[in-house]
Amino acid sequence: MTRDDTPVDRTHSTSRRRLLVATAGTVTAGLAGCLGGEESNDEPTESTPEPPEVTDSENVPQTPRVSDPPDAVYLPTHRTSMTHLDTVESGPYTVAPMLSYPHRFWLVTGTDPELVRPNVQGLHLMFSVRDSETGAVLPADVGAQVRILRDGQVRETLSPWPMISQTMGFHFGDNIPIREPGSYTVEVDLSPMTVRRTGEFADRFDTRRTVSFGFDFDRDFQREIVDGVEFLDESRWGERDALEPMMGHGSGGDETSGGNAVRPPDGYPGRSLGEPTSGDATFVVRYLTDTHLSDGGYLLVSPRTPYNRIPLADMALSVSGALEGELVQTLDSDVGHHYGLTGSLSPGDSLELAVDGPPQVARHQGYETAFLDMPPMEIEVPQ
Amino acid sequence: MDLPDSSELSRRDYLRALVAAGGTAALSACLDSSGDSPVPTGDPDARPQRQHAWNDALATDDDGNPQNPEHHVLLALELTADVDDDSRAQVESALRSLESAYAYDNDGLLFTMGYSPSYFETVGTDPPLPEPEALTTIESPEFDDFDSLVHLASDNANVVLEAEEALFGEVTPNDTEMEATFEGVFERGEPRRTGFVGAGLPADHTDMPGVPESVPDEAPFFMGFRSGFAESQAPESRVTISEGPYAGGTTTHVESLTLQLRTWFEQDNHFQRVAKLFSPDHAKEERVGSVGERLGASTGVAGEIADDTAEDAREFGTVGHAQKTARARDDDGTPPLLRRDFNTVDGDQPGVHFLAHQRQIGDFVRARRAMAGEDIAGEGVGQRLNNGILQYIFVRRRGNFLVPPREKRALPTA
Repeated sequence: MTRDDTPVDRTHSTSRRRLLVATAGTVTAGLAGCLGGEESNDEPTESTPEPPEVTDSENVPQTPRVSDPPDAVYLPTHRTSMTHLDTVESGPYTVAPMLSYPHRFWLVTGTDPELVRPNVQGLHLMFSVRDSETGAVLPADVGAQVRILRDGQVRETLSPWPMISQTMGFHFGDNIPIREPGSYTVEVDLSPMTVRRTGEFADRFDTRRTVSFGFDFDRDFQREIVDGVEFLDESRWGERDALEPMMGHGSGGDETSGGNAVRPPDGYPGRSLGEPTSGDATFVVRYLTDTHLSDGGYLLVSPRTPYNRIPLADMALSVSGALEGELVQTLDSDVGHHYGLTGSLSPGDSLELAVDGPPQVARHQGYETAFLDMPPMEIEVPQ
Repeated sequence: MDLPDSSELSRRDYLRALVAAGGTAALSACLDSSGDSPVPTGDPDARPQRQHAWNDALATDDDGNPQNPEHHVLLALELTADVDDDSRAQVESALRSLESAYAYDNDGLLFTMGYSPSYFETVGTDPPLPEPEALTTIESPEFDDFDSLVHLASDNANVVLEAEEALFGEVTPNDTEMEATFEGVFERGEPRRTGFVGAGLPADHTDMPGVPESVPDEAPFFMGFRSGFAESQAPESRVTISEGPYAGGTTTHVESLTLQLRTWFEQDNHFQRVAKLFSPDHAKEERVGSVGERLGASTGVAGEIADDTAEDAREFGTVGHAQKTARARDDDGTPPLLRRDFNTVDGDQPGVHFLAHQRQIGDFVRARRAMAGEDIAGEGVGQRLNNGILQYIFVRRRGNFLVPPREKRALPTA
């Protein structure tokens, strides 16, 4: 545990009652420590936060953190609880919203993660954007705009971050300040996508749509979103592994994780050029010759997280050697999210696959130390 | 609108709130608060032919950057009369009366009057400029469809309020008689927009939900940095229409934006803010300082740094707003837009009325599309993510206006 963490019951399957009791008694000290603790190397020292009001505090469980995580995907201390709202469909887009308590997460600029502290009273809003026809998650920044309304008045306008979490996969999310209890409406504007789309996606997702959903923010709701936080056995904290992806809700495409995982390596067409790893990500590399993705040969690279196969979006890849060029991030209706480049390869060719920029998506706990330092990989075309 | 409570606000904040409220009661309160410092009167015949030629009249900062006045009102007008010699003479007379009432400088009154495409359709002429339209994939704005826009600006809050009321015959501005008013020719349209510029002004608004305490005290704009560097601004000649019936005039585009400042100040760090607003090189080399004070009169993004935009997206995962936008400069490095933008809290949300002059609306479109960076989205940065400041700005409205030369500013029909 790091010093900013509040001791709470560390045994797994902490009961809701015990969590709430622990939280209510320690939240002021805990949050103050969290905000002013040793992590605040980049923060102005004068940022002394106001202590939270006790009535609003119970939606921020003071969860412990792993003190010295590996530079790789690791198991956090607990499994987040959340509330699923009904999915909302509009044209090609289906939005699956979820709500939880304010979260720690990390923004990534270049190769540097920046911790975002859960220092708002309110909640963590998340949603995934899916293809209405197949249920497949669309794992790329779509520039979504969100408005939070109360009594018809816009209270907050924001663009939630594209993020990855072990349980949720790729989604959009942010901590949202909610100061008063009441009924709130969330409007989500989805923009025409500019990322390269192929197959049946070529002329899909090119319209602007707005979906909306609502929630009541009150004590019951606040209890509900902390209900079910599950602590892992302390001996497993920081272990190189990942939480199981969430099952069930809003599922559509993929049998393993509600449409959020990309397929296993052997599920891709073409010839395997290996599955090298870099920065703890796995890169499925295939060479396709008979494909709608190109008139000739096509190099397909699908980087994903270990364990859960969550696609890694908004990174920059290039190759040199037998084939040279920058790979283009692509959403394909058949093979899904990948980075691709048209070109010909022959048996015996070798090339270097370089990560020019690591995935810029924000990270939930357990992913913030991985996928940052990503050395190049050697690829050989087998004889 | 209820008037603000002077006991709850700093004097500066109180004056800003009065400008936002508008009306004669706000003006009266403003005059009470302004004391007896006299506002200089002016001479209409001494004003230049270009309505937008403010630079010679504006104060400058220590680095020689012209300083946009502190208080602004954007007045929407709907035409209610036929356009003929009488109505034209009435409008011109009203404007000349304002020019007599106030000096042509920051303490007095600077203004422009422009006309929308729908105005030209109403008077039966081909519009000399296009209708406003959405310029990027991530916006769905409303459009200004009223007839005329008057942009009033002064360092004195009471001057912009008084000039606005004087146009409708409510007051005698600066003890100067109005020889005519807009009454019977124009009525007020929607929306009425207001705003402000100046060191410390954004930090005065931390009582609003959307403005975090972390706005730097000395920042003149909500994003926390200086703006309007002389080197990033088009010269007035570059934005002046050079031929045709409106030669000597310009165009105005108004883009009204909502800002997400909590995320900007409380989630991003200073390095990220500099990288996203200027360029990754600016952040790595610490070229900017806390609010842009190290930049003097130039952002330094033109040329090499602008040329590196696509490369920075791939290799640094982030590109700067200024860096992207500089790609739209002329071949000789001249910026195409002359910004006269200002902060706002209209609608009780922090925002910007990004008002820019350019020779033709196409210049704005080119610069705005360069700023949108859709060509690099998916190439290391997202549609918004790390793509300049797009994560934090939301377009609400757009409007296009032709600002004729001064001799044709009253109900043009050319």
